[in-house]
Amino acid sequence: MKLNIIQRIGMIIFLAASLISCEDFVEVETPNDKLIRTQVFEDDATAKSAMVGIYNQLRLAAFSNGSRSSVTLLSGLSADNIRNINTTNFTRMEFEQNELLPNNPNNLDIWSSAYNMIYMTNSLLEGLENSEKITAELKTHMEGEARFVRAFTYFYLVNLYGDVPLVLTADYSVNELISRNTETEIYEQIIYDLNESTNLLSADYPNGERTIVNKYASTALLARVYLYLEDYEKAEELSNQVILANSTYEILDNLDEVFLANSKEAIWQISPIGSGGQVSHTNEGSLFIIDPIFSFLASIQLQDEFVNSFTDQDKRFTDWVGYHPGKDAFFAYKYKIGNSSEFPIKEYSMVLRLAEQYLIRAEARAKQGQISEAIDDIDIIRGRAGLELLADIHPTITQEELLNEILEERRKELFAEWGHRWLDLKRTGKATEILGENNAFWENTDVLYPIPSEERMKNPNLSQNNGY
Amino acid sequence: MFHLTHYNIMKNNYRRTIWVLLLLVACLFFVFTQNMLAANNMERSSFSFQQEVSGKVTDTDGLPISGVLVSLKNTTSGTLTSLNGTYHLIAPEDGILVFSFLGFKTVEIPINYKTEINVHLEEVVSILDEVQINAGYYNTTRRERTGNISRVTGAEIELQPVVSPLQALQGRMAGVEINTGGVNPGTASTIRIRGVNSLREEGNYPLYIIDGVPINSTPIETNSIIGFAGMDPLNNLNVSNIESIEVLKDADATAIYGSRGANGVILITTKTGKTLGTGLEARIYTGVSTMPNRLKLMNTKDYLNVRRKAFENDGEEPDEYNAYDLVLWDQDRYTDWQDLLFGGTAKTTNANLVFSGGSENTSFRVGGSYFTQGTVYPGDYNYHKITGDMNINHRSKDNKFSINLSLNYGIDFNRLVGNVSLNDAVLILPPNAPAIFNTDGSLNWEEWGAANLDNPYKGFFNTTNTESNNLISNLGVSYQIFSGLKFKTTLGYTNYNSEELFMLPSRSYNPGDNVTNQSTHLSSNRNSWIMEPQFIYKTKLNKLHIDALIGATLQENTQFQQQFQAVGYASESLIGNIAAAKNIINAKRSEAEYRYSALFSRLGINWNRKYYINLTGRRDGSSRFGPNNRFANFGAVGAAWIFSEEPWIEKLEPFLSFGKFRGSYGTTGNDQIGDYGYLDAYEATVGPGGLYPTALANPDYSWEINKKLEVGIELGFIDDKIRLSLSRYRNRSSNQLVGYSLPYTTGFNSVQANLNATVQNSGWELEATSFNINTDDFKWQTSFNISFPKNELLSYPNIEQSSYANTYRVGHPLNISLLYEYTGLDPETGFYTVRDVNEDGSFDYQDRIIIQDQNKEFYGGINNTFSYNNISLQFLFEFVKQEGRIDLFDAGSPYNLFERDLTTPEEEDGFQTISQSYDAYEGFSYVLDTNFLKRDASFVRLKTLSVSYSLPQKLTKVVKLKEGKIFLQGQNLLTLTSYQGLDPDLPNSTSGFRNLRTISAGLQINL
Repeated sequence: MKLNIIQRIGMIIFLAASLISCEDFVEVETPNDKLIRTQVFEDDATAKSAMVGIYNQLRLAAFSNGSRSSVTLLSGLSADNIRNINTTNFTRMEFEQNELLPNNPNNLDIWSSAYNMIYMTNSLLEGLENSEKITAELKTHMEGEARFVRAFTYFYLVNLYGDVPLVLTADYSVNELISRNTETEIYEQIIYDLNESTNLLSADYPNGERTIVNKYASTALLARVYLYLEDYEKAEELSNQVILANSTYEILDNLDEVFLANSKEAIWQISPIGSGGQVSHTNEGSLFIIDPIFSFLASIQLQDEFVNSFTDQDKRFTDWVGYHPGKDAFFAYKYKIGNSSEFPIKEYSMVLRLAEQYLIRAEARAKQGQISEAIDDIDIIRGRAGLELLADIHPTITQEELLNEILEERRKELFAEWGHRWLDLKRTGKATEILGENNAFWENTDVLYPIPSEERMKNPNLSQNNGY
Repeated sequence: MFHLTHYNIMKNNYRRTIWVLLLLVACLFFVFTQNMLAANNMERSSFSFQQEVSGKVTDTDGLPISGVLVSLKNTTSGTLTSLNGTYHLIAPEDGILVFSFLGFKTVEIPINYKTEINVHLEEVVSILDEVQINAGYYNTTRRERTGNISRVTGAEIELQPVVSPLQALQGRMAGVEINTGGVNPGTASTIRIRGVNSLREEGNYPLYIIDGVPINSTPIETNSIIGFAGMDPLNNLNVSNIESIEVLKDADATAIYGSRGANGVILITTKTGKTLGTGLEARIYTGVSTMPNRLKLMNTKDYLNVRRKAFENDGEEPDEYNAYDLVLWDQDRYTDWQDLLFGGTAKTTNANLVFSGGSENTSFRVGGSYFTQGTVYPGDYNYHKITGDMNINHRSKDNKFSINLSLNYGIDFNRLVGNVSLNDAVLILPPNAPAIFNTDGSLNWEEWGAANLDNPYKGFFNTTNTESNNLISNLGVSYQIFSGLKFKTTLGYTNYNSEELFMLPSRSYNPGDNVTNQSTHLSSNRNSWIMEPQFIYKTKLNKLHIDALIGATLQENTQFQQQFQAVGYASESLIGNIAAAKNIINAKRSEAEYRYSALFSRLGINWNRKYYINLTGRRDGSSRFGPNNRFANFGAVGAAWIFSEEPWIEKLEPFLSFGKFRGSYGTTGNDQIGDYGYLDAYEATVGPGGLYPTALANPDYSWEINKKLEVGIELGFIDDKIRLSLSRYRNRSSNQLVGYSLPYTTGFNSVQANLNATVQNSGWELEATSFNINTDDFKWQTSFNISFPKNELLSYPNIEQSSYANTYRVGHPLNISLLYEYTGLDPETGFYTVRDVNEDGSFDYQDRIIIQDQNKEFYGGINNTFSYNNISLQFLFEFVKQEGRIDLFDAGSPYNLFERDLTTPEEEDGFQTISQSYDAYEGFSYVLDTNFLKRDASFVRLKTLSVSYSLPQKLTKVVKLKEGKIFLQGQNLLTLTSYQGLDPDLPNSTSGFRNLRTISAGLQINL
């Protein structure tokens, strides 16, 4: 039986039609729970959401969430303010004993979450750059915010690890085999980003929410950067700018109000809302507070030596240090809420606050020999803590004594916040002197954490820090 | 609300049951009246005229047959068909025409005033040929097939009290491994056809096709206690509406499914109507399931002795903290926690009603069923299913045009206990632990709290109500363009919906925890349509037979899922009413669209029905891949040689009645990966209002490729009384789609990419059937299958750096455990020790040097069917050879353990010193991951036993039944094993179980 001509043609048409339609047919629309990157930045509303996403993720990212793998806890353990209650948690004990192994999972958490944050900021910055549809004002503001978050993240990477890869693109084929850049290169980028961000951002807080970074946040961070880089003139100048914004910021007399949401002392805070809205407490609160009943859950307490360094009238001791009699343990009590699902949210995680700016200015001035101005600054902090003023009790203090006093005040003021003590000891070169004293295994190289071994396994171009 | 909802569901079910019964009565009435009418018609007088009749005789493929004798019944008059198959004769208008031709079945057709009668003659074939095997786009027979297809008929499984038909396949097919997901009704089973091919767990689902319509085989997500296993997407099918289930295994059979065939194909064919007459079939059975065995755990006295011994050994004083069971709790109390946990009885009831009928050209089948199953767990929880199905078939008079519509619809309601851990944690509670419930039925927090413990039934009042419905429909139209060429198209539509309400009342939780009344809501929808136009061409050139098929597929699946939590209901009765909730949180929504298109073709050639070649191919496009990689080609070649047809071997007949060699080789693919993976996309953050990138995008990834090779021999002995089929296969899956590992400096630690890793599955399979005795009165048939599978990860470059570094080992199967080496008891402490291979003082994966294969060494089943007059007996034994592990021997800690001979000195029984010290705990926790626990977990299980008795005709005639049958079924009645755990089917979990013992009885009547 043979096909007649019409049937043959019909068959060919049928086959051709199905072939052609096949190619087009398997194109599918993007579902509405996903948005292609390029589309995100074609519209003001979705572009804004990408920035909100970064703020939300800061509450979840290990290094910044204030929880068990955060800089706040782990670098805190590396220094001399806090310690583990449970000494069998080996990964955290490695931090406390300054005996970090390159395969420490918490160390990898810091590294991986920081680079994930950098990916997000790079992705956003690239998206903005390639977009022509976003209004100029929004573009400006978002670029400023993203550059700030990137600089902020690099600040911790460079301080914890020394030389680190400088990743400025979202393209994984570029970043896959990247080598480490020098600390100087990283700091150059941080300063560049923060300067840009200061120029791009406005001075106010939209809706009064201090969880959105503004011009002062980036100025404040840059002041800290210059202090670390020992450029005291710039550090003084920038901290001065923040302190002068006294309609926005003030040192609160009541210590219990400092860590409240949008407190006037806050320059930048991270809101617990990023965890999804089921809980409204900060991770710092639930990590540090030892519950009167569920004390067996507690994992961190303050070191006795540190607690003893407070005088009895120091309000920072009476208001910011708690005590659990059953455990006979002191704990950081800056945040008062350890477990809550009540809304509105009462406390935000503090990242940058005005007190630090006074301490920066004090140190920058002291370094430049402006002793009495430095005393004035330090007395703002001491006065708020209910202590006698240096101007009254020790007006003739020497520069060296004053610098020691500033370091001590920084310890008492900023404990259990963002690893300040660890970074201070490291940058002032006192880590060995102070930490080595009680630790037979201390080595000078311990001031830097190891590059995670998993990273080095995957990327042969990453070198290891000395001592690991 | 909580009670109300429950009540409503119950009420609805009763209403539905009544509805079904009413329908049954109505149908009975209808059938009786029809029968009476028919009887009246028969009595009509017979007076007739002569008339002309003409027509055409063709074979089943529509090819004309010449020389057919067309005769008038009971006369000598007749004629022969012409060269093009036509005939013409004069005959009485009420006469009967008889068509007969050598090699074909004789057909009788009453003239009945018709002037044109066209006839299809079917070839007479041997047993091997009789049964049509569904090969997907075409049919074949055992004799002619070139590929490997296993088949189970509906009759074998329809009486089994299971929710999903797949659960009934255990032990029945070679190369098909089925692990039921658990004893909660509705849980998805895991099906692996010839082993695990993909490194990704979710890339191993076979393709399900119901009446030509593909069904998404991924289990449906649920928040209920079923949890991770998910719900079986075939739950809503009516098991008794299944005509047959075919499993396609090798390249020849699966390559026509292209990118979806890598893990094998399961074809489910539903029943169709009869060709002549009407019939009604009603069946009901009911049964009870219980947990068949118990672990031999210690009683209170022995347990407390062990505990005291621990303190004696440790030199410690028991106090309320370290020994609440010795100090705080009643020393004489005894609770059999196993009884409390799974001592219940689960009831199963199934009612099934089918009405079917047809005339020469049209047939139909309409059926309905009701199924319910309970659980053995505490609380009143159950599963209900109502199904309705319909099948209509019509052929035009000239047989050129045919249309077939099948609809399968099912609704199910699954009410299960919430997220309470009804598992080993409860099992090994100290036997003198306090009561779970207070006398008023609330959870007892006080006594447990005194020991600083949570009530182990925390969450007990949580409930999930899952309601789902599923429609699977298929319309097939075919038209014979001219003899030999047929156009056929199928149109399929499926729609699955499920709504789940998970209620978490605060009374499930410790009042001290301040948990508010909550609910979690989950809805899912799966929708798909498919269109498959095809041309089928058959021809015969001398001794060369050609079957050709070419077709195209267009398919679209859409999926949607939405989930949120509502918290802070003021009272328990409001739970579920989201308007009354204080907050709605964690809202999530996802949707996916999947499109698939293909061209497929098949060319089957045979020479003189002796040498066969079968070529299949498919060009596939899938939306799951990036724009550059959407299309790929797959194909296979199969060949068979029926050597028993050769003259030199025919001499061996009848001893060797049939012999065939067959082989096949080809490629199939696997596109079971998430949709949209190639998109560089942002998704919503957990926190409100945010978007963020969740993964690195790789626009270039593509299919996994599976190359299958198979050779087989099929033999029939003594007139095919014994039939054997032996297959050897080797499947290699490469181009594995895995997370390619990256350093975190890229932002993430991996990106989806095809990696040059290869997984091989190879093995032997034997299927045999023997008709041992086959007399008129007594029949005995045995069928047997056995599979020896072997799975191996052949290569995986840089596995050490991948996320699978601690999961897989190159050169070993995928399903392994990595274990420490047990080095005996420490001579000083008496505690377990394990080897620190690299002597670094810590125990991690570098020290886990022992690799235990967790696969079955072999498995199979043996099925016997006896029938003697009206009685038939059938039983299926399933057998498995495998290794397992046990773990309940932690003597000294406050957990119950296996009975242990306390008179034996401790150091002699192989277990460590009884102790509650940290060192003892450490020793125990390490030994759990060693070879110390290895035990043989092989078993032989009487999977099903059924006895049925057909009512004698004398009796059925009296009550005007065509047929009546009573039957008795038993599931898992007997298990022979040396394994100490509850169920050797779960050989790595001492206290897990998957199989209940069920006994059911029922009645079937046909009218």
